[in-house]
Formats: sequence, C-alpha cells, structure tokens
Amino acid sequence: MIPAETYLLLSAAVFCIGLFGILTRRNALIFLMSVELMLNAANINLVAFSLQHGNLTGQVFSLFTMALAAAEVAIGIGIILVLYRNFSDVDVTKATTMRW
Amino acid sequence: MAAFTYAPAIVLLPFVSFLVALFAGDRMPKGGALAGIAATGGSLLLSIWVALTVAGGETFNEFVYTWTASVEALQLRFGLLLDPLSALMLLIVCLISFLVHIFSLGYMNDEGETGLPRYYAGLGLFTASMLGFVVANNLLMAFMFFELVGLCSYLLIGFWFRDDGPPSAAKKAFLVTRFGDYFFLIGVVGIFATFGTGLFAPITEGGEVVAESFPMLAEHAVIDGETAGIAMLETVGMGPQAWFTVLGLLVLGGVIGKSAQFPLHTWLPDAMEGPTPVSALIHAATMVAAGVYLVARMYGFYAISPTALAVIALVGGFTALFAATMGLVKQELKQVLAYSTISQYGYMMLALGSGGYIAAVFHLTTHAVFKALLFLGAGSVIIAMHHNENMWDMGGLKDRMPVTYWTFLAGSLALAGIVPFAGFWSKDEVLYEALIHGFGTEGGLGTAYLAAYAMGLLAVFFTGFYTFRMVYLTFHGDARTDVARDPEPVHWNVKGPLTVLGILATTIGFINMAPVAKLTGAPIDFLHKWLNGPEEGGWPALLSTDLHHYEELLHEVPHVDPAYPLGGETGTLLVSAGVSLGLALAGVLVARSLYSGADPVEHTDKLGGLKTLLMHNYYQDEYQVWLATGVTYPLARVMNKFDQGVVDGVVNGVSSVSLFGGSRIRRIQSGVVSNYATLLTLGLVLLLAAFGIMGGWF
Repeated sequence: MIPAETYLLLSAAVFCIGLFGILTRRNALIFLMSVELMLNAANINLVAFSLQHGNLTGQVFSLFTMALAAAEVAIGIGIILVLYRNFSDVDVTKATTMRW
Repeated sequence: MAAFTYAPAIVLLPFVSFLVALFAGDRMPKGGALAGIAATGGSLLLSIWVALTVAGGETFNEFVYTWTASVEALQLRFGLLLDPLSALMLLIVCLISFLVHIFSLGYMNDEGETGLPRYYAGLGLFTASMLGFVVANNLLMAFMFFELVGLCSYLLIGFWFRDDGPPSAAKKAFLVTRFGDYFFLIGVVGIFATFGTGLFAPITEGGEVVAESFPMLAEHAVIDGETAGIAMLETVGMGPQAWFTVLGLLVLGGVIGKSAQFPLHTWLPDAMEGPTPVSALIHAATMVAAGVYLVARMYGFYAISPTALAVIALVGGFTALFAATMGLVKQELKQVLAYSTISQYGYMMLALGSGGYIAAVFHLTTHAVFKALLFLGAGSVIIAMHHNENMWDMGGLKDRMPVTYWTFLAGSLALAGIVPFAGFWSKDEVLYEALIHGFGTEGGLGTAYLAAYAMGLLAVFFTGFYTFRMVYLTFHGDARTDVARDPEPVHWNVKGPLTVLGILATTIGFINMAPVAKLTGAPIDFLHKWLNGPEEGGWPALLSTDLHHYEELLHEVPHVDPAYPLGGETGTLLVSAGVSLGLALAGVLVARSLYSGADPVEHTDKLGGLKTLLMHNYYQDEYQVWLATGVTYPLARVMNKFDQGVVDGVVNGVSSVSLFGGSRIRRIQSGVVSNYATLLTLGLVLLLAAFGIMGGWF
C-alpha cells in the first residue's frame, strides 16, 4: 500500500502548479484551468484521507466537489465570454476598470 | 354632579367651532361666525350650570385623560379642577367670547372683510385654549394651553397679514411672551422634578387624599418641615422656602410676559394692530388675564414666599404707574386703552402680591367686563370713523352715536374708578388691601407694599385723566373732520353686546361692595363668600384653594397681617376709598378743564422733553431692540465663530486625516486580478509562516 504522504505530496504539487499558473499567466482561460488544478488537488487530498481512514465520506465529498467545479466552469466561461466582448481580449491585466 | 360630566364640553365646543370654521367656514353663511356663536353660547350655558353646581357646594378635581402613561410618578394627564375661582373665570371667558363673536358680525362681516373662516377659526381656538387653561388641574396642562393661547394671539394679531404692521406686531407679541414662557417652562420642569406632581389641588376619594398637590407639599415642607417627599433640595443646596421662591419666580416669568407686566409689556400696545374684537378678547378675558389667573390658581405656592410676594407687588405697582403715564399722551383711541390694560393688570398683580387675593379676582372680573366694553366701544367708533383711530380726527360723536357713547361712558367711569361703577369697588379694594397689609406687615415686605401702594395710588389720578381725555376728545366738542360729522351707522350686532356690557359695567361691582358691607353690616360681599366657601368642611377642606386658607398661610409664613392706622377698620376703609375716589375725580376734572371745550387743543407740548419721552414709551422698544441687536447678536456671532472654528474645526480635522489616509491606501486597489491573487498568496504564506513559528512547527 502506498503511504498517504505520497498522495499528499502529489496533491501539494498539483496545487502549486495551479497557483503558479494563476500568479504568472495573463490568459483568463489558463486561469480557469489553474483553478481546476487547485480544486482537484483538494480532491486528491479528500480521497487520500478517505483511503487512509477507511471511510467513504471523503470520496463522496470529492464527487460533490467535481459537480461544483463543473458549475464553476460554466460560470467562469460565461465571465470570460463577457470579458472578451467588453475588452476584445481575454487578458486579465487589461480589465482594470473595477477599482477606485 | 351631572354638570361636571359635561364640563369638558365647555372646552370642546369652541374647539369644534374652530374645526368647523376652518374646514367648512367658506361654505357657511357668515363665514363660520354662527358656529362660533353657537359654540360659545353653549359653553356659556354649560358654565352657568357648572357655576350653579359649584354654588351648591360641589367641586370637581379629577383626571379625565392620560396622554403619557409611564411610571406612576411621571404620568402626564389632563384633568379638570372646577372650584369657585375657575367657575367664575369660565363665566367671564365664555361671556366675553360670546359677545365678541356677535360683535365680530358687525366689525368683520358687515365691513366686507375677507378671510373670515380663518378669523372665526382663530377666535374659536383662542377661546378653547383659554377655557382649557382655566379648567386645568395641573401645571403642565396649564402650560400647554398657555402656549396655545400665545399661538392664537399670534394668528389673530397678524390677521391682516398683507399689511406691514400686523405681521410684525404678531411676531413681537409671540416672541416677547415666549421669552417669559421660557422661564415658565423651566419653572414647570423644576416643580415636576421637585414635587413629582403639578396638581393645583389635592385629589381626594372619600375624604382620603390620593394625590397630593404641589402647593400643599410646599406648605407642609415650609411650615412643618416635612421635606421627605421633596426631591432636588439636596441638589440645589437651598432651604425649601428659598428653592420654592426660585421656582415661583421662574413661573412668574411666564405671568409677566402674558399679563404684560414691566419689562415684558412692550408687545401689548403693538397688539392693537389686530382686529378690534380680538383686542377686546385678548385684553379682557383671554391671553392677558391668563397670567394673573395663574398666580391666583397657585396662590398657595406664592403665599409661602415673602420674596415672591414682594416682587409681584412691586412689579404690579410699578407697572400700574408706568403704563398709566404712557397712556397720557397717546393720540390713538386703542393705544390709550392698551396702556390702560397694562396699568389695570398691574393693579391685579399689586393685589396678589400684597395678600389681596379676593381683590385681585374681583378686579379681574370687573376689568374683564369694562375693558371688553371699552374695546368694543372703540371698535364701534372705528367702524363709524372708517378705521381712523386718531382721536384728534373725532369729536362730537356723542349725539351721532348715543348707544356707543353712553355705554362707553359707563366703561370709562368704571375704568377711572368713579363710584358706583364696577372699577371703583374693585380698585378701591386693591388699594385698601395693599395699604392695610403695608402697615401691618413687618420689615421689608411691608415697605415694599407701601411703595407699591403709593405707585398704585398715583396711577389712579393718571387713570382718571387719560380715560376722560379719551372720552372728551372722542365724543365731546365739535366734530373735527367730515367723517366725524357724518359717521357710518352701526347695527344691532354692535349695539347689543355694548348694551349688555354697559349694564354689567355699571352693576357688576355690586357683587362685592366691601365698604358698604362693613359700614352697614349687611352680608352683601358675595364674591368674598363665593371664594371663601363654607366655614366648616365642604370644598375648602378638600381642595384648600379657598380664601380662608390663603389668609392663614399669609399670616403664618410671610406674616402678612392687616393693620388699621387711620381710625380703626372702618375709618381706614373710608379714608382709603375717599383718597382713591378723590384722586380719580381730580384726574377727571383736570381732563375736563383741558379737553372739554368745543375745540380742544393739544396740551402735551407743555410737557416739553417729558412728552417726547412718553411718546416714545420711555424708549422701552429701543432698549429691547438694542438688547437684541447690540448685545445678543454680537454674543451670538462670537458663539457662532467658536462653533464654526473650534468645534467644527476639531470634527473636520479628524475627518480630513482619515480622508487623506484613505486616499493613499486605496492605491493598492489596482484592479489587476493577478495582483490580488499575489497579495492573497503572500498573505497566506506569511500567515502560515507566522503560525509555524509561533506553534513551533520548525
């Protein structure tokens, strides 16, 4: 049996990749993908602990998270569509009108 | 007791007529006058019923309506106190108001005035407020109606608001009386805080006192030293008597404003700008009478304070003389009457201050009748003269308007104090009380009484003079203008009220002919009996608002006692009456010798500089305007500077610091999502690091 730490390391790695994507990229679609990576890092954690404790709750929970992520993607793509219509671009650094 | 069930209707009927005239007056014949006449007539009938019931020995003192129910100590309630004093005053107010309403038909409707619904609504509310004030059984209710009376005087004095004079006079009346009412309000709050009640007379149920009145509490505190239920004494650090004097003087501020006593008398002559029937109502029965009535209503509270009594007597005596001198040189008919009003109310204050409770009530009654008569007579003359009030444009009206002349003459004889007209009996009693109490009272209070008496006595001469100067100039001699040669005729609605009041002015003095009663031993001092009540038990035992109780108080606390320096009681009475009658006659004769010719000339120029002083009313208006513009206004400007500079400066300084800080810190809001994400991540990392170091993870 593979120890839980391995899964946690994997999860941390996926999370950091997502975070890196958000911090460095300017394309909104890449943003969305990075967010998905971070969500799935959390899912890996949930499943890993579920396995560790022999309890199915975590896996059920990760199913919910996936449904949530699907809904989030629908909204996210909608936002990106509006962003493109307003700024003719999907570069997040250009949409800076929502400030003081 | 049935009469007392309907007693609230005495107040409500004129109030209903106010509403009717206001909302339906322009759709009614006579502009709402009939509603007012019906309402005051109804109130008059109910008042007579109440007076008859009170004459039968019944009194009433109960709460009828609670409008703020909170803790037991601070319930604010409307209640009725119907005792001989308020029953008498109800009769006066209803009668005068009724007659004034009828007279208004001639003075306003027949003269083609516009805005009549407003006028009759004002009269109705005025009457209702005064009646509410009269029946009030506690100080707070009295104060509320006192203020309403002031509001109505403002509305009615400024009735012709399109001219220049009336709005200004109305504002002056409102502001000057309000200045006095300011002190009254503090006094009311002080009395409530001190005693926890504003009741004028204790409420009893089956012989048991269920709610004590503040004059009685004050009396127990001063005489028996029972200060248990009395708050504030510790706070103010005074003895009970000294503190009650302060409270009494504060309430007196309102009295001085409303009753037009020196130095707050300046509004009253200007109030002549209003319609003449309103002047009659203000000066005879409502507004001005309210001040004197208030002192009489809470007389038990003043009777235990020698200082307050001395102040009342001196203010009254001085005002009587001071106003009489100003009346000497006036050229307008109503101005002479205005100053005579101030002077006569001075007499009432003199009487109240010098222990002549009954004399004050008596003079209040007779004055209400003859001054209403004189004002309505003046109104009749003004109709005839096409609203010219200058007496030098009149003359010879005697033969052309006999009803007005004879009734006006009766009123003038009463005002001057000529036997046997009403004013003689009451004014003589005022002066007599001041004299005997002045001699009988020890110390400064007695001296004050004698000084006030001297001023009042001197004013008798001036009163006789200015009254008959007015009569001679208006009615005697030759007509000096075309209008006076052919005056406009007046109708029944003017002559009727004049006749009723003329008969009353001649006869109402007979209700208390004290000198005759003393000389003959006949029991004809009816007013004395009315206010005194039965010797044992009855309403005096319940309410303690009877004359006998007040006399005991005056004897016990300030030691106001009578003394008869001139040949015993009868001798003093006769000498006092003789002296005041002689002075009044002397004034009349001087006026006759100066002004009774066919073509009188002005003698006022002989007074020289004094004339200028009197014509300018001793520069009272000027000095009050100076007080406002020369003292108060600069002070207010300094205060404004302080407020704008220091107070606002601190507030603005604090806010500008946060504004500046905000304008700097907001720059971290760049609008770039990546920056926010970076900051979030950095924050999280820092937080984790901090927890790690604190929690010893490393």
